[in-house]
Amino acid sequence: MKSFKIALAATALLSVAAPFAAQAQSTYDDTQQLIAQIQADKRAVVLKAMALDDAQLAAFTPIYDAYQADRKQLMQRGVDLINAYSSNYDSMTDDAAKGLLKDWFKLQEDEHALIKGTAKKLDKVLPTARVLRFVQVENKLNTLLRLPGIQGIPLAN
Amino acid sequence: MKIASLAVALAVAAFPVLINAQAAPATQSVKTDEQIILKQVMTDKRAVYAQNLQLTDAESRAFWPIYDEYEGKAKKLNDEFLALVDDYAAKYGAMTDADATAMLKTKMQIEKDREALKQTYTKKVAKVLPPVKALRYAQIETRLDNMIRRDVYGLIPLAQ
Repeated sequence: MKSFKIALAATALLSVAAPFAAQAQSTYDDTQQLIAQIQADKRAVVLKAMALDDAQLAAFTPIYDAYQADRKQLMQRGVDLINAYSSNYDSMTDDAAKGLLKDWFKLQEDEHALIKGTAKKLDKVLPTARVLRFVQVENKLNTLLRLPGIQGIPLAN
Repeated sequence: MKIASLAVALAVAAFPVLINAQAAPATQSVKTDEQIILKQVMTDKRAVYAQNLQLTDAESRAFWPIYDEYEGKAKKLNDEFLALVDDYAAKYGAMTDADATAMLKTKMQIEKDREALKQTYTKKVAKVLPPVKALRYAQIETRLDNMIRRDVYGLIPLAQ
């Protein structure tokens, strides 16, 4: 089951990660490199989609970059969770399944809290319609990034 | 219907939608399209679970009432979301800060309620099914939820 360990962690993070999948090894450094690339690509998409003027951009980017730093931690937790799932897959115990469920839900809660907290910060420096746009863009992108990995991970048995 | 075939049925070219959505008009058809997607998926979901959970008779008797209760409550949240989209479409192009603030607050609350509902009912499922099957249930729910989100989000133009 090692075959889906890091490769799926990669696709779980970003569908456009495919060009990088071949170089993805089961090492922490490679995962970090992959996350960094994904975040750089995502940042470009977000900045284009936000369509901010210069003043708005100057206010937006520090908050967004702080958001990205926090999100990187969440992405790493997602990778760790997939790896833990992979390690337990062939002989999943009840306790392991309970632990994975608990960690997954905590990750979801923290992701929601991060977006909500970031939206509040942005609301102080941008028109609220732009904040709403940020939430929409993030929701779209994060959904797209998650889906390939989620679909590629075999169901528990 | 297997999960994979449901995914194909729902598939859209999402990245182009994200970019092109900036110029897309908001119309009543957005809500109508969402309603069609949600109705179809809600119908198909039950079959997906039946096929993929592989429940015994005893497990089925315990699981389906919980599932139906969950779906009933999830439908209320879906209806709230559709009402929000309806409001969004009506105000699109002339949205005030007050409108955006109210919509953002409602959207965040729906998301929070949806996550809480999912967790509550997964815990209920975990009390009547073996933990591994409960995990499987959560995985299927997550997959379907993400497929629905991808398609629904793809229909909604970004705020101006």
